[in-house]
Amino acid sequence: MSQGSVSVEVAGQTFQLHPFKAIFWQEQSSLLIADVHLGKTRHFRREGFWVPQSAGDQNYDKLMSLLLDLRPKRVIFLGDLFHSDYNQEWEALTDITKGFTEVQFDLVRGNHDRLSDHAYAKADIEVYEKPLLLDNILLSHEPLPDYLNESYNLAGHLHPAVRLRGRGRQSMRLPCFYFGESQGILPAFGNFTGMADLSIREGDRVFVVGEDQVIAVE
Amino acid sequence: MRELIDTGKAFFRKRGWTPFPFQEEAWRAYLEGCHGIINAPTGSGKTYSLGLPILLEFLRAAKDKKEQPSNGLRAIWITPIRALTREIQSSLQEAADELGLNWNIAIRSGDTSQSERAKQKRKPPEVLITTPESLHLLLASKGYPKYFKDLKTVVVDEWHELLGSKRGVQMELALSRLKGLLPDLKVWGISATIGNMDEAVEVLLGASKDDERFRLIKANVQKDIQVRTVLPDEIETFPWAGHLGVKLIKKVLPIINNSESTLIFTNTRAQCEIWYQRLLEVAPDLAGIIAMHHGSIDRKMRDWVENALHEGTLKAVVCTSSLDLGVDFRPVETIIQVGSPKGVARFVQRAGRSGHRPGAESKIYFLPTHSLEIMEAAALQTAMDENQLEARIPYIRSFDVLVQYLITLAVSEGFFPARVRQELQQTYSFASITDEEWAWCLAYITSGGEALQAYDEYNKVEIEEDGRYKVNSRRVAMRHRMQIGTITGDGSLQVKYLKGGRIGTLEEWFVAQLKPGDTFWFAGRSLELIRIKEMIVQVKKSKKKTGKVPAWMGGKMPFSSQLSVYLRRKMDEAHRQDYEQVELQKLAPLFAFQRERSHIPAEDELLVEYFKSREGYHLVIYTFEGHNVHEGLGALVAHRLSQLQPISFTIAKNDYGFELLSDTALEIDEALLRRLFTTKHLSADIEASINAAELAKRKFRDICSIAGLIFKGYPGKQKKERHVQASSQLFFEVFSDYDPDNLLLLQAYEEVQTFQLEEARLREVLRRIANQRIVVRQPSRASPFAFPIIVDRLREKISSEKLEDRIRKMKLQLIK
Repeated sequence: MSQGSVSVEVAGQTFQLHPFKAIFWQEQSSLLIADVHLGKTRHFRREGFWVPQSAGDQNYDKLMSLLLDLRPKRVIFLGDLFHSDYNQEWEALTDITKGFTEVQFDLVRGNHDRLSDHAYAKADIEVYEKPLLLDNILLSHEPLPDYLNESYNLAGHLHPAVRLRGRGRQSMRLPCFYFGESQGILPAFGNFTGMADLSIREGDRVFVVGEDQVIAVE
Repeated sequence: MRELIDTGKAFFRKRGWTPFPFQEEAWRAYLEGCHGIINAPTGSGKTYSLGLPILLEFLRAAKDKKEQPSNGLRAIWITPIRALTREIQSSLQEAADELGLNWNIAIRSGDTSQSERAKQKRKPPEVLITTPESLHLLLASKGYPKYFKDLKTVVVDEWHELLGSKRGVQMELALSRLKGLLPDLKVWGISATIGNMDEAVEVLLGASKDDERFRLIKANVQKDIQVRTVLPDEIETFPWAGHLGVKLIKKVLPIINNSESTLIFTNTRAQCEIWYQRLLEVAPDLAGIIAMHHGSIDRKMRDWVENALHEGTLKAVVCTSSLDLGVDFRPVETIIQVGSPKGVARFVQRAGRSGHRPGAESKIYFLPTHSLEIMEAAALQTAMDENQLEARIPYIRSFDVLVQYLITLAVSEGFFPARVRQELQQTYSFASITDEEWAWCLAYITSGGEALQAYDEYNKVEIEEDGRYKVNSRRVAMRHRMQIGTITGDGSLQVKYLKGGRIGTLEEWFVAQLKPGDTFWFAGRSLELIRIKEMIVQVKKSKKKTGKVPAWMGGKMPFSSQLSVYLRRKMDEAHRQDYEQVELQKLAPLFAFQRERSHIPAEDELLVEYFKSREGYHLVIYTFEGHNVHEGLGALVAHRLSQLQPISFTIAKNDYGFELLSDTALEIDEALLRRLFTTKHLSADIEASINAAELAKRKFRDICSIAGLIFKGYPGKQKKERHVQASSQLFFEVFSDYDPDNLLLLQAYEEVQTFQLEEARLREVLRRIANQRIVVRQPSRASPFAFPIIVDRLREKISSEKLEDRIRKMKLQLIK
């Protein structure tokens, strides 16, 4: 298991929670990644913000090292892979997918994913319009509302974070993996994406990502 | 000369006035071709001290010339606030007419219509009254050298106001260009008295202050100020902490009743809203004859309030610093200051807003919001008696303003770097820039510099074949003109009635908390949110009596070092039980309590308290240096403690002291404290302790928008503040990673050091402590002095524990 990761069992499956804010699903040898928001930097520039190109590069570095370290058979993006309309950053991603021909790349479409079919085809990424069921895990972009079913729903979209408190008025806000009774949420993979606080109930399992480590909290 | 001065005197005589000595002195100096500063307060006849000789100079020159179709632009009069422009215009116009000059005295500001601007462009007025921003807009228009060719003088009014802001830098830059264009240009400033008058002169005049043409003319017109403190009846039941001051609200009613008109100054807009509301609750009969005024209320409504103040139809106005400056309201007889003014000069300035009838004196009441503030009232009075006013620290090396200016020049005529560089050498702000820094600025405006280079979507300034730097893209030019200025918005949304009437602006984060149907109080009325549409908050009137009161972000006003000195002196008087002032007398029972539970420090003592509560272990240190310095000092001491053992703190502070709270006990003794306050390794420790990056990131937002890194959108199509914020943070991170020597980034750190942490002052404090006796007390519970500090909720954190260990000690917040 890679350094800083934590292994959890959810709905009978084994998930390695990686500090790069991705899940390695052992049984399926699949990498689950939510909310990369690639292309955001260029998008900003088009809108009149002078965002430097290098800003988004970390995403590629992280993705490459996950692919090299974990050697997954399949990478499933849980939506919001690409932030905006087509721009050159898509080509950078295409370079990666083309470089790992043995890996299957899939995308469960999110609200931000609006490139042409051609673009996805060119990058060799299969797009799913509906949630994707694998074993008993249902992968979607947005958490399915009022979800209570046989299978377990795993989603992104929220960019979840939690606030921790301690004595002496200590407090911290960190991105997290969240596993509720029938639904789990992944943190956003991309840097330069915001976070939203989750409400946590008794019995939920929460793992925060701090520096280079995933840590379970109570 | 004699003849001209007599003409001036005759003009005065006609009005039944005689010129003050300083006015006559100014006339002479001006007509001799000098430049300099007139040191005179508002309402002292300072406008005529320079306005008149400008006219006289023309009379002298026109004598041997034939009538011309146009005299050209002769003088520019800069004023920081629009409210003053009308008064200046009418005074000057009156004088011009009287002297038989067919002159047009015009105003150009943000409110001036396009057609009026076009008219001013075709036929320049003889005198143009304007703001630093509008002056830069003129520099951004083609053919400006021709437009300014007849210019004889630039007057910078209320220079002390511009000085402490980036608008001052903007002024320096515009003057450097105009002086480069017109070597004989006379630059005059008008300034109220401030603690660093010499520096003020130097900043305005740059290198030319050293020549023999320089004059400093002092008005010496001093007004009497009567100061009183509104004291609670019983000090025992008066709160130890708080900031609203509504506890004493009933005490202001007789003050309002006994005065023709009263201005009630509050320190924040939210406090202003609350006070207005509460005043009407305790005195419903004031409805219709009191009003409120602050910067987020729509300009039209503010204008209405100001007019009503002039006409004397309002009994009182609750306001903020929005009424610190401006035209004098003659009916205003009394001022009430709610809470600490944080500085002597501000208190004096506000007092000066009253008593403008002939023979009247200024009257100001200080209304404390908690017990210890009563001490500040005593300190203020002594400081005023000894005439100690604060300095205004000028911004230097503001590269954001500089690059904006360079693009401005590139937009209009284009510029040659060597020439502009030479002009900059003459300014106070940029005299020290190096060749590398200059090269950086040029690279930045052409290619975006190191980290931004090769951006495909933009191309700002191009270098022509002859070496001229020029903007050729119309789109870039248009965007730039829209962005000129150094006052950056705060991400505000317009608030409008459904039918369209404007009420004012609210900040995005506050609006985000509201749902349609929610009621909130704003501009003194209860409003219901209907919807938010295209950055406009649509509301209707509500009958509900309860609702949220909006708050606006904005830095805390720093507690001045002058006030700090006097506060420590008052503490010393309390230590000696020397209760000469009524304020100290009133506080006697509180002092007794403090003495019983802990100690009152003499001037040569440093008080440290250490105690345990349910929350943890509290270490409270009283240095009385203000919130900003305590922020740095608190982090420094926490850092040094955390070097001794793994420990986490939260840090709280107010203007009087700071507290470190931890979940681990400490062994507190004098030897340890001496180590914590040593001046050894200070720079390194400051660097390690203060999360300067976090602070600088906040400053960086404004720098980004001034430097043109962020485009806030076309009018009516503004970007969301969230996006502006996000991209400024993005820039910050990217520059930090890829271009750490970026001058804009370094500037953000500089600004934090100088203006936020006041590092010079922090060093001063440590040097002082080295010579003080440290008195450690371990009270069983919080002392009266500690109480207001430990209730502070806005805490900074510092830790030497591993993140993992900290997380393991913490708990999730569960929803029930």
